[in-house]
Amino acid sequence: MSVRSFFLTQIFIWRAVYATRTTLNGLTLEQMLTYYGIATLIGCLTYDSTDWDLQWSIRTGSFLTYLLRPISYSFLAFAQKIGHRILAFWVESVPVFLIFFFVFKIRLVPAEPAWALLSLGLSFVLIFLTNYCIGITAFWLTKTEGIRRAFLSLRDLSAGMLIPLTFFPEWMQKILFYLPFQFITYVPTRVFIGHYELAGVSLPIPQVVALQFVATVVMYAVARVLWYFGIKRFTGVGA
Amino acid sequence: MRNNIRIYLQGAKTALATRMAYRADFFMSMLIMLLVEMTVPMITILIYQNGATFPGWDMYEALLIQGVFLLGKGIAAPFFFGIVWNTIERVQNGTFDLLLIKPKPVLFMAIVTGFDAEDLGKLVGGITLFTIALSRLPAPSLGEWLQFLVLFLLTLTVHFGYGLILASLGIVWIGNYRLYEIFGSITTFGMYPAAIFSKPVQTVITLLLPVAILGSVPATALLGRPSAGTLGAVGVAILFLLFSLGFWRWMLKKYTSVGG
Repeated sequence: MSVRSFFLTQIFIWRAVYATRTTLNGLTLEQMLTYYGIATLIGCLTYDSTDWDLQWSIRTGSFLTYLLRPISYSFLAFAQKIGHRILAFWVESVPVFLIFFFVFKIRLVPAEPAWALLSLGLSFVLIFLTNYCIGITAFWLTKTEGIRRAFLSLRDLSAGMLIPLTFFPEWMQKILFYLPFQFITYVPTRVFIGHYELAGVSLPIPQVVALQFVATVVMYAVARVLWYFGIKRFTGVGA
Repeated sequence: MRNNIRIYLQGAKTALATRMAYRADFFMSMLIMLLVEMTVPMITILIYQNGATFPGWDMYEALLIQGVFLLGKGIAAPFFFGIVWNTIERVQNGTFDLLLIKPKPVLFMAIVTGFDAEDLGKLVGGITLFTIALSRLPAPSLGEWLQFLVLFLLTLTVHFGYGLILASLGIVWIGNYRLYEIFGSITTFGMYPAAIFSKPVQTVITLLLPVAILGSVPATALLGRPSAGTLGAVGVAILFLLFSLGFWRWMLKKYTSVGG
């Protein structure tokens, strides 16, 4: 199930759940729908398929043609992502925004636009880097569909794309707090809302964005190391 | 008939052998398929644990509906729903022509070559959830089981119809994998009791689009509290199958080879 279209069902489901109550877990129906709206919007703006593209080209051997080019694969893939997301901004993000605004009367406007934009930018890079690492594992595994699915599922779950993380039991929230996945979607969603809280821990927005920056730098280093070792294993048969 | 079964089994065997070339990935994919399918039931459990409900339904009743939905999907996905990705992929890279020249109907060959071994994980997930939910509810009577089996057969028929329509669209709408996303979004409504939605939504998912029949309608029959419009849903499911078969033939005529 794609989380980008998940919100449509969720709106009807939550309306039914809220039919007999006004708040749930401290959230009103409007707040719940706003949460899903923001998560969907962020999902549209940062979506990435580098993992699939890279493993496909390694498996089929067409990766060889990229090595012959005078630019790095990572730069090419990142540039492609920017292009795709610019297109998606008009055909996905704007319609989602308008649907929420006109149909459900919900304004998806960030509480602090500058921080939200910065967090969104970091999330954009972070998703690219993590997916890039997943793609690199194809140098060892050749086919990485399983790892990819595992990562996407874990990411969507621990990022609160499917349900706000505060619905999870306390012990699970504590685990999620220490996992890096929250920096991909949960953190930008909370920065967009203007208030970060998980497992009973509240952090100021600048601090949480700074942590997100650190996570991005660490991920960049991991990607470089993986690439350094992975590229040595590539044999260009069947290009 | 026996010959066709032999061909189908050969297709399944080949698909399994191909997938086993990347054994670690295969088993991981199967496991993940199972876990991914448990996402909606997990959300349902979280909703109930936080003190909320789907009005009028207890947790295991709601889980049974989702179990039936996943069971149907678990049977469809590996055994015949592969026609969708198989057709889209073949049309895109030009190998669809190879199916056209086989001495068997194209649809049959698309099903045979579209066997999706890793989707068996979905079937395991469906059986597990269905069994767990059912074991926590009063045992259904023989009549309820019979009603369920008839309706569940229609569930599979509707899955087949959706598969046909998506595959047909893949013939003219080259390389569009977003079709899955659209299908996924629409059919998710079938995982919840139809009665919790507003009347217009209920009408749409029961009598206009066969969505409630994918989970809610057969499950509620098993629970002994049949959904409103069950008979209408049956009629719609049959009409849907006829429409999808016609649509497939129509789109097949529109196929233009790109030369491979």
